[in-house]
Amino acid sequence: MAAQQTRDLAGAVDSTDPQVGLAAVASLRTLVERLEELHVANARERGWSWQEVGAALGVSKQAVHRKHGRRRRLLG
Amino acid sequence: MFERFTDDARQAVVLAQEEAVALRHGWIGTEHVLLGVLATGGDGARLLAGFGVDAAGVRDDVVRMIGRGEDGIDPAALATLGIDLEAVRERVERAFGPGALSRRGHCRRGGVSMRVPFCRRAKKALELTVREATSLGERDLRTEHLVLGLLREGDGVAAKLLTERGVTLAAAREKVAGRDAA
Repeated sequence: MAAQQTRDLAGAVDSTDPQVGLAAVASLRTLVERLEELHVANARERGWSWQEVGAALGVSKQAVHRKHGRRRRLLG
Repeated sequence: MFERFTDDARQAVVLAQEEAVALRHGWIGTEHVLLGVLATGGDGARLLAGFGVDAAGVRDDVVRMIGRGEDGIDPAALATLGIDLEAVRERVERAFGPGALSRRGHCRRGGVSMRVPFCRRAKKALELTVREATSLGERDLRTEHLVLGLLREGDGVAAKLLTERGVTLAAAREKVAGRDAA
């Protein structure tokens, strides 16, 4: 989908419809979660410590380990 | 609202839901209702065939325009923020391999409903379907009235796709009314 099509589509979708606005927020949140999983797994594969991963994400190493510690083999 | 719908018109709404789920879209938009009408193959599909509109062509355009979503990620919703999910997917897959964006590290929450809500424009189109049928003096709401409702709504993706194909509300109304009179 080209940028022009994104704009055309945005015109045909009513962004003041709560159904659309809330779905946009939820979709963005899910997308961020997916990207976080991928990049945390990638960093761990490359030998980053939980401390370093947490610092890059702006959260404590405990928080990032609690969230991602059991998904180390995601990219494997 | 659905009490006056014929079996075909109900079927079109059911298929609209299935189209939205299959494309991983987060709501039923006017484009899914249009796909539902075409998939049902009743008088609405025949009316549209008269304008050269077919299901395969419309589905291709919906996929080209909106793209496919992921569980929990709606491409049309992201487009309202200027985010092109297709472009994001392409970059993520280039870095992490095919299907990287859909790969789940954990199980989905249990009991996630597969029912998808209607967006406001699709609801509006359904309301206008009732009015179109009523103004034609029809009690039953058939799939061709759904087509008129989608056209009269005017701002949704379905209206855009139909207008691009040269289908106007006036011409469609004339055909429906002409057949009713015959």
